[in-house]
Formats: sequence, C-alpha cells, structure tokens
Amino acid sequence: MLIERVAGFSDNGHPLLMKGSVAAVTDEKENNSFSAEADSADDIAAKNKADAIKRRELAYTYRSNLAPGNATDEDPGEPLSRAEKRRRKAERSAEPKVKLNKKTLWRQKELIIITIPFILYGFLFYYIPLGGWVMAFQKYKPQNGLFGSEWVGLSVFERILNDKSFQLVFRNTLAMGIINLVLSFAFAIGFALLLNEVRLRRPKKFVQTVSYLPHFLSWIIVVGIIRDMLSMDHGIVNEILVNLGIFDGPVNFFSKPSWFWWIVGFSNVWKETGWNSIIYLAAITAINPEMYEAASLDGAGRFGKMWHVTLPGIRPTIFILLLINLGNVLNVGFEVQYLLTNGIVKSVSETIDIWVLYWGIGQGDFSIGTAAGIFKSVIAIILIFLANGAAKAAGEERLF
Amino acid sequence: MKKKLTRLIAVLLAVTLLSGLAAGCENLGKAKVKKFDMFIAMPGTELNEGNRAQAEITKITGVEVKETWLTGQSAEEAIGVMVAAKDYPDFIEASDGYQIMVDAGALIPIDKYWDKYPNIKNYLSEEQWNMCRKADGHIYAIPQFGIVNEKDVSPIHNDEAWWIQTRVLKWAGYPQVETLDEYFQLIEDYAAANPKHTDGTNVIPYTILCDDWRYFCLENPPLFLQGSPNDGSVIVDPDTQKVIDYNTTPIAKQYFMKLNEEFKKGMIDPEFFSQSYDEYITKISTGRVLGFVDQFWNWGYTAQDAIKAAGLNDCTYVPLGIVAEAGIEERYHNEPVLDVSGGLSITTSCKDIDGAMKFISDLLTQEVLTLRFWGIKDVDYKVGDDGLFYRTEEMRANAIDANYKADNLCPYAYFPQYEGMNLDGKNAWRPDNQPSEFFEDLLPEVKECLEAYGAETYVEMLNPSVPNSPWFPMWSFSNDLTPETPGGLAWAKMSEIKHEWLPRVVMAEDFEAEWSAYLDKYYGEADIDAFLAEMQAEVDRRIAVAAGN
Amino acid sequence: MDNIELEPKSESAEVKRIRTKKINPADLLFVLINSLILSFAVAITLYPILNTLALSFNDGLDALRGGIYLIPRKFSLKNYETIFNTNHLRIAAVNSVLRTAIAATMHLAVTALLSYVLSVKEFVFKKPVSLFFVLTMYVNAGLIPTFLLFRELRLTNTFWVYVIPGIVAAFNLLVLRTYMNSLPDSYRESAQIDGANHITIFIKIIAPICKPVFATIALFIAVYHWSSWFDNMIYNPRNGNLTTLQYELMKLMSSVTSQTSSNSAYGKSTQSVAITPTSIRAAATMVTSMPIVVLYPFLQRYFITGLTIGGVKE
Repeated sequence: MLIERVAGFSDNGHPLLMKGSVAAVTDEKENNSFSAEADSADDIAAKNKADAIKRRELAYTYRSNLAPGNATDEDPGEPLSRAEKRRRKAERSAEPKVKLNKKTLWRQKELIIITIPFILYGFLFYYIPLGGWVMAFQKYKPQNGLFGSEWVGLSVFERILNDKSFQLVFRNTLAMGIINLVLSFAFAIGFALLLNEVRLRRPKKFVQTVSYLPHFLSWIIVVGIIRDMLSMDHGIVNEILVNLGIFDGPVNFFSKPSWFWWIVGFSNVWKETGWNSIIYLAAITAINPEMYEAASLDGAGRFGKMWHVTLPGIRPTIFILLLINLGNVLNVGFEVQYLLTNGIVKSVSETIDIWVLYWGIGQGDFSIGTAAGIFKSVIAIILIFLANGAAKAAGEERLF
Repeated sequence: MKKKLTRLIAVLLAVTLLSGLAAGCENLGKAKVKKFDMFIAMPGTELNEGNRAQAEITKITGVEVKETWLTGQSAEEAIGVMVAAKDYPDFIEASDGYQIMVDAGALIPIDKYWDKYPNIKNYLSEEQWNMCRKADGHIYAIPQFGIVNEKDVSPIHNDEAWWIQTRVLKWAGYPQVETLDEYFQLIEDYAAANPKHTDGTNVIPYTILCDDWRYFCLENPPLFLQGSPNDGSVIVDPDTQKVIDYNTTPIAKQYFMKLNEEFKKGMIDPEFFSQSYDEYITKISTGRVLGFVDQFWNWGYTAQDAIKAAGLNDCTYVPLGIVAEAGIEERYHNEPVLDVSGGLSITTSCKDIDGAMKFISDLLTQEVLTLRFWGIKDVDYKVGDDGLFYRTEEMRANAIDANYKADNLCPYAYFPQYEGMNLDGKNAWRPDNQPSEFFEDLLPEVKECLEAYGAETYVEMLNPSVPNSPWFPMWSFSNDLTPETPGGLAWAKMSEIKHEWLPRVVMAEDFEAEWSAYLDKYYGEADIDAFLAEMQAEVDRRIAVAAGN
Repeated sequence: MDNIELEPKSESAEVKRIRTKKINPADLLFVLINSLILSFAVAITLYPILNTLALSFNDGLDALRGGIYLIPRKFSLKNYETIFNTNHLRIAAVNSVLRTAIAATMHLAVTALLSYVLSVKEFVFKKPVSLFFVLTMYVNAGLIPTFLLFRELRLTNTFWVYVIPGIVAAFNLLVLRTYMNSLPDSYRESAQIDGANHITIFIKIIAPICKPVFATIALFIAVYHWSSWFDNMIYNPRNGNLTTLQYELMKLMSSVTSQTSSNSAYGKSTQSVAITPTSIRAAATMVTSMPIVVLYPFLQRYFITGLTIGGVKE
C-alpha cells in the first residue's frame, strides 16, 4: 500500500518522499514494538473504511458544495449531498475515541516525549512572566519592585471600568475590531481566490509580489498617503467625486465621526490584504486536483470552480484564522488611529491602546497598563472559548 | 539545500564571534582611555565610531562617553525597566524619569563630591543650586540648559510669535502691525490683492496647527495677547502673584470670535483642525501660507529651510508680537530658562565617580567647550586676526550635514554647558549665535524687512526680554502634573475638552451658542479650581524658594 | 484568450480537451472581470511603493514641499548615504541576517514538529496542549516581568535573546496544524501501519508535502525577525556587537528630528544637505523591505506549484 503510493508520488516529483518511505519500511523491521502498535484488526478495518469514505467524499465534496439550483444533471446529487453533509459533519466533530489509560499513554509515548520539552518551554517563556500580572493589583513603582509595591486589590480595575472615557474607548475598539475583522477577511480571501484564478505565471507572480509590498510600509507612510488622497486640497478622491457630481464641493473626510472607523478599516485593507492572502494561497495548494476535475466534468465554469471547490477547500484555514482573530478583536492597535485622528473625531477614534498610552505609559503608571492588558486577555479568552464551542458544534476546524 | 544553509549559518556565526573578539582586542589596546556610557531619555543622534571631535576631547580629558538615546519608548518606560533591573549606565539624563531614579536611590548626590571640582560647584549660583535640591537636601542632577554666560546673544527668536511672510509686509509698505485686528486686516488685504501663489495655487491666508499636543498654536495665544510671558498653562498676575486661567478671559473670547469671523470669510485653512503635523509643515514649506502662530522650533528648522531651498526668498517669515488691543506691552521674547526639573546625573552603577566628576569639570573648560560647539580649529572654524571665529561656506555646509556631524562633531549636548558668550568674552558659544555668522547668511529680503522696522535680528522685531519672574515658567510644573492629583486630572480633562471644542468654536455657525456650550462643558467636566489651586501653591512655593526660605 | 490555452500541466488531458473545445463565454467574462479587479488592485498598491521609492531618492527639504508622486523632483542620494553611514552597519547587517536565518529555520522546524504532533487525531493530550499554546496568544506579561526573566536566564546581552524567545508562536502552530489536518489522514496512517515512527513520518512524509505552508510560515518568521528592533533596544542596548540593522535604522529615524533642528535656520546656505524624517523614512523602508522582496520569489514558487499534491491515486 505504501509502495503504491510512493510510486504515485514520485511521478509528481517527490524524490525525498520516495527515499523516506523506503526508510520507513526499513524502520518497520527494526522497530517491532512500534509496529506492534500498528493496531488491532479492528483499527485496520476502520481505517480501510475511512479510506473508502474519503475517496467517496472526494467525488462528492464538489457536488455537495454546489447550491441546489446549480446541481443540474446527475441529480441524485441533491438529496445525497445533504446526507453527505451530515455524515461529514458527524465525522469532523467526532472526537477520536481514545481512552486515557496506561495502555494509551504507552502507545503514544513518542508523541508525549516530543511534547514535554514544548510544555516546559512554554511554561518558562509564556507563563512564568505572567507573575507580573500582580502589578495590576498594586500601586506598582519600579523602584519598589514586584514584591515591595503597595497592594491595592481591585481598585485599579474599578478605576478602569468606572471611567467613562474607558467605556468610550472600549466601544471604539470593539467597533473598529469588528469592522477590521470583517473587511480584512473578506478582502484577503477574495483576493486569494481571484489571484488563484490567474493562469499566466508571470502576471500572477507580479500581482502577488506587488500585493504584499504595502505590508512593509510603516503606518506613518501609509497614513501620509491616505491623507494625501483624501485631502480637500487636490486630493484625488475629492477631485473624482466632485467631478462626478457626487459631492458639491471638496469634503473633509476627517471631520465626519461616522466615517472614521471605515477609513481605518479600509486603510487596513489597503495595507494588509496581500500579506493576509499569502496564507490562503498556501492553503489552496492543499486542495485535491481531482475535485477540480470532477467539477469540470460536471460542466462548472471558472467561477463555479472557484466558488464551489477552492473556497470550500480553504474553509478550515478560514475558520482557524477567524477563531484566532476573534480573540484579537480588541487588538486594533493605536498607530493608525493616532495618526488619523483630530480633536473633532477624537470621541470615535481613541482605542484602548491609546487610552493606556495616555493614562498609563505616558504617566509611567505600569499598573493601569497591566490591568488593561488583563482586561483584554480575559475578553479574548472568553471570546475564543465561545467561538471554539460554536466551531465544535458546527463541526468546523477549531483551536483546541 | 539544507546543507548549504547550515554552512551559511556556520560561516555567519564564525564571523560574528570573530568580530566580537576583534572588538575585544581593540579595547585592550586603548586601556588608558576611561570609557563611560550614558543614556539620554530623549531622542537624539548617536555619534559614529571614530568621531573626530570626540577623539580630540578624549585626548584632553582621557575619557570617552558612549551616548545612547531614547528610541520608540517613553522616558518613564525606559527608566522603569532600568530601575526594575537595577542596571544603569554611568551617566544619565533621565528626563521625565528623573523622579523615579531619585526615588529608587539610583543616583549619587553630586554635592557630596563637588568640593574638588570648582568648575562644577561654581557652575550655578548658590540660589540656583538650592532650587535643584531634592527633599533630602541633596543635588542629584546638574541642569544643562539656560545657564547664560554674560548675555544671551541669539539672533533668532526661537519661541512663539505671530509669523508673517516678508512679502506681505513689503506689499503693504512695512506698516506697524500691533493688534489682532490689524494682523488679520493685513492678511485679508494681501490675499484679496494676490490670491495666487507663485506656483499657481491659491494662497492660504492663515492656518492653525491642532495636531495632538501641538494644538497650543490654537489654544495659547490668549495668554500672549494679554501681554503675558509664556508661562504655558496659566497667567500669573505680576502684581498680585495670583494665577489666572487664560482660557475663558474676555481676551480669549475676543480671539476665538476673531478666528470664527475669519473662518467665515474663508481666510482660515478649512482643513486646519484635521491636518497632521507633517501636512502643516508641507503647507508652510510651499510658501502658500501667509501667516500663523507657532513656536519657531516647531516649524522653523524644517519649513523655513525648505522655503529657502526652493528659492522663495520673499516667502520666509518674520515674527510679530501681536496683542489684543493697542497699548498692551507684548512679552513674546524671554530670557533663556534655567530648567531645574532634572539634568545630568551620575548613577550608582558608575564605578569611578571621581573620574566622572572630573570629566564633567573638564567639559566646562573653554578649550573643550570650543571643541564641543565650534569643532576643531581650521577644520570646522577659523579664527580671524581680531580673534573672532568665522566659518567658510564649506564649513557651514558641513556643519548641517548629518553624516558629517555624526563623523566629526561631538557636542556632548546633555552635559553641562554655557550659553551666551564664550568665557573669552569675544565669541558666541555656538556658531549660530555669532552675529557675524548671522549677518553673513541673512537673505536680502529679510534684511530689508528687518531694517524697515529698525531691527537687525529677528529678536529685535519683538520687545527686549526682561528678567524672568521667580516662578517663571509655570509650564515646567504643569508638564509634570499627573492624574493622581485632582488638579492634574483637571489639567488632563481641560486639554481634552479644549482639543475637541476649540476647533468647533472656530468653525461654528453661531459663535455665541457654541462658545457657551464650550464653557458649559469646560466648567462642567473639569475641576478648574483644583487645577488653579495647585498652580497657585506652586507659584507661592517658587517665590518662597527664590526668597531663600 | 491566452489564459484559456495555458492550462496548468497537472490537469488531466481529458479536462483539457473539454476545456479547449468549448470556451465558455461566462468564463471569458470572469477572466475579464478578474483581470480588471486585479489590475486595479495592483495600481492602488503599487502607487504607495513607487511614491516611497521616489521620495527616497528626492532631496529631503525639497520633498517637504509635497507634490512628489512617481518621479523624484530633485534627485539626491543623501538619504541612502545617511543610512549607509550608520554606525556598526556591517555587524548590524550580519546580526540581522543571522537572526533571521536561524529563527526562520529553527522556529519553523520546531513549530512544525509540534504541529504535527497536534495533528495526530488520536493523541490524548491534543486538546490541552493546543489550549496551552493558544492561550499564549492572548496573554501578555508586560515589559518588566519579561525583562527580569530574561535577565535571570542570562539571555540579556547575548545574541540568543533574539532567537530563543518566541520559538513556538501559537499562530504559526495553528496554521501549520490546520494545513496538516487538511491532508488526507491516509498518508500518516498507512505509514504508521507500515511501522514508521512519528519522527520519521514527520520528516519523510508530512514535511515534504507541507512545503507551501512551510514556505509561508518561514516567510512570516523571517519578516518578523528581520524587522524586529524592540528586543535589541530592551535587552542589548549598549553592546555594539549585538546590534541589528533595524535597531540602527530606528535610532537613525528617531534622531532625524533633532538633526534638522540644529541646522542653521536663517542662512542662505541650506543647499540640499538636510535630511528630513519623511525622506529618511522612505529610504529606510526601501532598505528594509528589499531583502525580503528579493527573498520572496524563492518562496513564491511553492505557492504557485499548487494543484500538484494531494494526488492520492489508488
């Protein structure tokens, strides 16, 4: 079985894999105890069944992704696809049934041994410094240290949560976070899909290279350019809109509080779409070409294949990034807002980070910065637990 | 491919290690030179290795100081990390982190060590040193700025003024412009007669910078219009020594009403409240802006230069001391301010305190002062037969070239220094304060304008400075206010409200309504009295300290 | 039109035949619209880059006046000269390349191994270990505790402080794991049945298939490390031998304001010698992004090869 597959692969130019598999075969002989792990007859039977299902799945996935109206010719597709969906969902959400007992632990000793150093490392570098969170419960002064500062209980949190200006910046942060999340996902995925459809190599490479360059521009440069373009004084956007008769005269884009969040959102899109799409382009490479063939045989056009094969194919990646970024929804930063703001739109532009910069860092108050950080962490963790639960229920890829 | 990569990494590693060794050997070679390091909690330029003037100073003093500067952090944050780790450089200018350092016991008391170094002890007067003492009676920092030898000879007004292009004054025949109304009338008339700039765009009669903390250009003119010096946050009545809030005085209302009126006439840049600092500098640099209020250091060193570089010689600016009504004496120009809120300190990490003190003392000799601020004789400046220093065209160009400076000049700018005149009494402390250098370089258009007003320098366009009051400047106190006190909280709130409301007042359809809405907000949300009380207490304290109590 | 004929080689002959026979007008429309959208996207993303490029070659003072779009108005190399006159430039460049190379290879290898382990569906600790790392994305201890830890570990004032922290970034871990999850289980399982151990399976079977996502993650790590300077400033501020390019550039940029402010502001002689924050920033951006731009095409082929893997033919 392995050998067959190796042959299949070497055609596709994976010499390494070929060598590797041979090595794997040799390993088997040397490592009897491990191969003993190679499962009971039950397991093998289950595996074969799974493989068979997988194969069937490939053929159907494409169809099942079609909207009912599109699935025309061979139409057992429709009811079958629903059944398929249910089955796949069940399959995805089903936890592999492994009992935590001595036997399992022994069988998985290799995985466990690999994991141990990671846990130690993570503990040392990520969790031990969290001891610093005690600052949020102190009136921390660097000169007194973490152990010598005065304890103030929850009063820092009380101060933050009762502060009207904090409630305002929380609202702003959340709003901008959501707008950014939606826009950046939509644009990055859309861009990756469209770019993937370009069949000419050179233009494709060119477009891709250009698209991710803005990632390297600092916000201060990007904001300068955005301000130029939106300027009342010969800004290109105003000139176009006035010439088209949409505006009567030049408009000051930065005088409208209701526009500010969107300006920030689209600035983000401009800067990061190409960069964010890289991940999706990589994910697209994992899609089985047979699915495209199946789609072609069904007479799907370019758009149809993009919509019904490529997009579902990167769904796990989309979901995992969505989950990650949902936790980051309050991390909208401060730079772009700070650089774009002015007195009149201040009430919608200030974010939690700006608030911390002003009231915490700027005044050397480490406690308030730490407390705001803890506040954001708690919200993030609640969000990802909720989202992860939802993903589990929906049978989608999840964080943990 | 992996092999290649491994090899590449190995080679690179070897290179790093070797270069580290090489650097180590170098140090052994120059064992006699004492090396200190210094952190300055402000942004600044690092000297390049092998800096020429630095090497000369090292020859005289036997000491080399490696300066590092604040980068991308706040001073408190940088100092906070140092204090938490108890790991300091030898010298430090802690800026806003000074009090943290003092509280942490990280600094050595200068006054315990200064007996052997008269240069340091006599650097300030007894009274001035007293102002520097902390609660325990010791001095932990030496102020570096505002210590004037003989007299201040700076030809440029570095502070706030109403700036106006020389072409506007020339067009009107160099009239006397004293009041707010006259200033705007002149700008209006000129703009009506000359609506286009040389590049074909419309002129911008007047603009106001409102970006972040730089919005002082909008909010603080009422203070000056009243004839007060730049105390910053409040006016202190010189007779009663009581503080007055300038934000809501009748003159403030008059000023904002005037701006509102001009805004409605289209005289004020419609983007004024949303422009960024960069955009503002760009606008001024094109020469399109006829006038504005600002501190010179905030715009002059970039925009004024850009205008000249573009050859728009009649578009540079001269300062005017505008007041609200005729008859008020303006106080725009003041004497250099001795800032006692911090300075150069030596930390407890310094292993050779005497060496450090000796170095500071050596830096205050004229020989080294000249090296620091003029450079090396015959390379960076020449000495005329009359003993006056001068520079050739090439030397002048070198002195403003960033690369040349990093390689050749070493001002050790955050060590103590004398401003005004050199100790020889002949030359100014720095080339740009030397009158001969100034006149050599003056544009004919500016010269003509200055002469029309009977002035030789920019400074002479304004009233001469008078001695500073003992409490002056109050901004050095309000800058350090934190929200921990009610007054500090009010100060922060005031600035928030003003920042949002003053642009609205200027742009209001109905000025009176907007103005009273602003006042409601101002008095409703900020505890102005708490703020004024703290300011008053500080005024009283400063008067007492100066009186020797 | 070309687009239709140039099919990826990997598509089967049959599909090709079908496709070339009837050119679907809807496809033509799609290609047309797609080209339009992408051309527009290229235009608006290319502009800021070209603008920055133009600014970087323009005299700083002159640029203050604005109005520079795609072509420098007053050509000058001063900005680049200033950048290349930076202290310790050579050692800084070596350190930057070194940390980028080491981090990209080491972090990728290590993270990939862990993500493989977490992609093994029957692994009993899959869930808790994932959660353990996921949480690290959302908690942040702050500057001072982290600094104290690194000092205790004797990492400060060493090169290792650049590459030892952040070996396992949860984001990268999750992206890798997702990719591995999306591969058919049959790869791993059959090898396992054949008795290979996990390390072997990871190195010989999974890793080669994961090239595209490895390239992506390597790029992410490399870009992060190439552009880092804060760790340099915090942990190694006063050791010239450990400086990095980005830190030197940061120092330069934050000092520019003070440089311009000590120019002679009233003289005639200010002839194109001043650099300004804008001009130096533009040049620094170019210097910073160029190495990554050059690196990218090498990684890019892994994204474009697509459609060639996953061909489980049985």
